[in-house]
Amino acid sequence: MINIEIDGKQIQTENGSTVIEAAHQAGISIPHFCYHKKLSIAANCRMCLVQVEKAPKPLPACATPVTEGMKVFTHSEQAVKAQKGVMEFLLVNHPLDCPICDQGGECMLQDMSVGYGGGQSRYHEEKRVVLAKDIGPLVSAEEMSRCINCTRCVRFGVEIAGQMELGQAFRGEHAEIVSFVSGTVDSELSGNMIDLCPVGALTSKPFRYKARSWELSRRRSVSAHDSLGSGLAVQTKNNRVLRVLPIENEDINECWLSDKDRFAYEGLNTADRLTKPMIKQDGKWQEVEWQVALEYAANGLRHIANGAGAEQIGALATANSTLEELYLLQKLMRGIGSDNVDFRLRQSDFSGDVKQQGAPWLGMSVADISRADRLLVVGSFLRKDHPLLAARIRRAARKGAQINIIHSADDDLLMHVAHKAIVAPDALVEALTQVSKALASEKQGQSASGEAGAIARSLAGGERVAVLLGNFAQQHPQAAQLQALAQQIAALSNGKFGFLGEAANSVGGYLAQAVPGTKGMNAAAMLATPRKAYVLLNVEPELDCADPQQAVAAMQAADLVIALSAYKHHATEYADVLLPIAPYTETSGTFVSTEGRVQSFKGAVKPLGETRPAWKVLRVLGNLLKVDGFGQDTSEAVRDEVLQGVDVSAKLNNAIGGVEAKAAPASSGLQRVADVPIYATDAVVRRSAPLQATADAAIPQVRMHGEELKKLGVQSGEVVKVGQGQGSVQLFAVADDKLPRGVVRVAAGHAATVALGAMFGTITVERA
Amino acid sequence: MKNLIDFFKSFLLLELLKGMSVTGKYFFARHVTVEYPEEKTPQSFRFRGLHAQRRYPNGEERCIGCKLCEAVCPALAIKIEVAERADGTRRTTQYDIDLVKCIFCGFCEESCPVDAIVETRIYEYHGENRGDLYYTKAMLLANGDKHEAQIAADRAADAKYR
Ligand code: SF4
Ligand code: SF4
Ligand code: SF4
Ligand code: FES
Repeated sequence: MINIEIDGKQIQTENGSTVIEAAHQAGISIPHFCYHKKLSIAANCRMCLVQVEKAPKPLPACATPVTEGMKVFTHSEQAVKAQKGVMEFLLVNHPLDCPICDQGGECMLQDMSVGYGGGQSRYHEEKRVVLAKDIGPLVSAEEMSRCINCTRCVRFGVEIAGQMELGQAFRGEHAEIVSFVSGTVDSELSGNMIDLCPVGALTSKPFRYKARSWELSRRRSVSAHDSLGSGLAVQTKNNRVLRVLPIENEDINECWLSDKDRFAYEGLNTADRLTKPMIKQDGKWQEVEWQVALEYAANGLRHIANGAGAEQIGALATANSTLEELYLLQKLMRGIGSDNVDFRLRQSDFSGDVKQQGAPWLGMSVADISRADRLLVVGSFLRKDHPLLAARIRRAARKGAQINIIHSADDDLLMHVAHKAIVAPDALVEALTQVSKALASEKQGQSASGEAGAIARSLAGGERVAVLLGNFAQQHPQAAQLQALAQQIAALSNGKFGFLGEAANSVGGYLAQAVPGTKGMNAAAMLATPRKAYVLLNVEPELDCADPQQAVAAMQAADLVIALSAYKHHATEYADVLLPIAPYTETSGTFVSTEGRVQSFKGAVKPLGETRPAWKVLRVLGNLLKVDGFGQDTSEAVRDEVLQGVDVSAKLNNAIGGVEAKAAPASSGLQRVADVPIYATDAVVRRSAPLQATADAAIPQVRMHGEELKKLGVQSGEVVKVGQGQGSVQLFAVADDKLPRGVVRVAAGHAATVALGAMFGTITVERA
Repeated sequence: MKNLIDFFKSFLLLELLKGMSVTGKYFFARHVTVEYPEEKTPQSFRFRGLHAQRRYPNGEERCIGCKLCEAVCPALAIKIEVAERADGTRRTTQYDIDLVKCIFCGFCEESCPVDAIVETRIYEYHGENRGDLYYTKAMLLANGDKHEAQIAADRAADAKYR
């Protein structure tokens, strides 16, 4: 600790901190532009000049480390003169077009110039002009003349996103921010540059000219698009969501937001929103009153329960439904006598269900990930599945943590990976077994060879080890074995292990008991042995399920399909009742994040048209079916019914026992590796036009090792026909020598690949 | 004694005469009352009357939809909706001033960065129904078109004092 004095205030601060940090701690503001607490120090804007005793000239507070006994004056005559001088220089080249600037009203330069700028400019010469640039569908660089060259955007790219997509070219007055290589900014975190840019040079493209910042009301919400539980400030006007910004929380999303969370709102009010209940009569869809639709649905369910038996009814929900919705859905199902309810639609191995006691979760807090010094990430498309967690891990890597990867694809994670084992899906268990064995022998002082040995040594050398299982590992046909092995490895390296949850409520679904009991059927079984009736909550079966072929076949064969959905989607082909329910911005609810954080939120806007929150719809259905316990008046009452007096942390448990890891029988032929593309994960994201225009949302390709393509006699770039079961699709083939041999990577969850089958298993490729 | 003086004062109608003398003085003095509407007072170029939206000489509307006037209006009389036009500029799709609410403070004109919304010298207008004084963008632009010469002259006259 060091004692310094700022503006006459005695302050104790840590050794090595800078003057601006010390001042902020003490609540003293120092004007600044280029300084940002999460980025490295550039000290290039000079706005933060302060007077320091015994220093002949003013010093930049952001780059001056504190020293014992230092006396700083932030508002002395010398400091203010310097600050005013810098301000005048900054405004020399600034276009002063605030009235047409989207940043107007929330602009640091505007605010500072009120405090430090002159009333009138003394500069009458020509201003510099920087040409507009098109850097993609999300970030607008239309008015680059506004740039004050603080390089925050550049530093963000390098330090947080891991990729230098913007850089500063040329010098002096000609200095400008340009995008490199691809010409567009494709990072999945690019939207943060909009927040970081202190002026209106980088602004949001979808939000351009939609509203002025002071017109918007701000509502607190929680991200529905990944399992991190990022805090959202949903900004609305005239009952419409116009923008989404992050709410800062150091333990969750820090001050960042992934593009998925930030721009998904554009998919909320699309033309295919369902706004009136509909039923199908004589093959034709008709809009009806709620009462009619609900009674139709209830009668249908009653009919099947009384006739064929309640076990002929299955309920499927997505894991981004709220806790309340999932809870009432399972309560309804169990109330009418069916135990078939599940929300783990892409999972294929359910053998762990009976062997583990609690809800699978991250196994540690999100903040713990930053503190880990050795990480093993198994089966995860980390960057695309968990953009912000990946950024956390990236920062850990920059600080010296060793990252180890075991996976079936080798995407560039934009961080230093110490060791990796890239194997085919059926060899994943074997790869983990090797690491586990190597770790055991490491303990006895014997060093194993190969990648497994290297990973084992890396883990053994760590003090805070984290083993994380990604979406791919959770969806894997041997998921329970992978879990058991991860548990073993974590135990051997004195670390923790857990799951990178797939969706907003992957943990909440368990707490809501939206999983089958011992008599019930899980998601896969419900589709494999088709039921007579299905209740779908937020589900688009062909996109959300592990095996779209099977899912669609089951839906088509069913007598009754009741779809609770915010959109008029493919369900019109097989459903009998469509009930319009509110997406997360229009309903209150609760998400339980992957670290077990329970976060409730309120609706940001009123439900569109005759849309109703799903928990209310389910409650009325419960009443119509005369099931007990459906009298809740508020979503909070439902939540309390699930969680009141419950110690959530006691319910989270990854421990699994009684699973024996045995290598899968070597599969013949090619195996499929399927990722769910980042902007195909849920119904809202799929409809967000700006996200769908990004490079990440391009039509999936068929990626294979170059040698495998050669064997087929196909050139990279040619169209091939990939087939699974009855279905096939034609896509471009691309050689990717980083993939293991014998593997075909084709994305799932995308409209272009719905004709294919399961996400894992054999797949055929032939010339088209 | 006092009673006696009061008695003579009222007996001789002194107070009445005093009052009448004021009347008489003004009866013969020069008239200052303006006989509106035959006569009109001179107006300042800063007169704040009916609003108008101006255009540039090439016909382009000036307003860029910055909503500063809407934000500053103390009477909440202005309502603006904007959208991006095909050429990429932001324009108003709705610009209404409710003159029933307006207090003619002139803040809107003062805040406008492009001199689009102005208050003209016009004060002779009326509405027969409440809604008649709800001025829409088209009405405001028509006002501007009609009185542009006067508006421009007034701004020019005021310019040297700013
Ligand atoms: S674009 Fe914005 S963030 Fe980037 S250097 Fe310019 S002012 Fe700074
Ligand atoms: S003159 Fe004043 S009250 Fe009237 S519209 Fe303008 S700002 Fe509002
Ligand atoms: S009239 Fe002027 S202040 Fe009002 S929105 Fe238009 S440009 Fe802005
Ligand atoms: S904030 Fe210190 S130089 Fe920019």
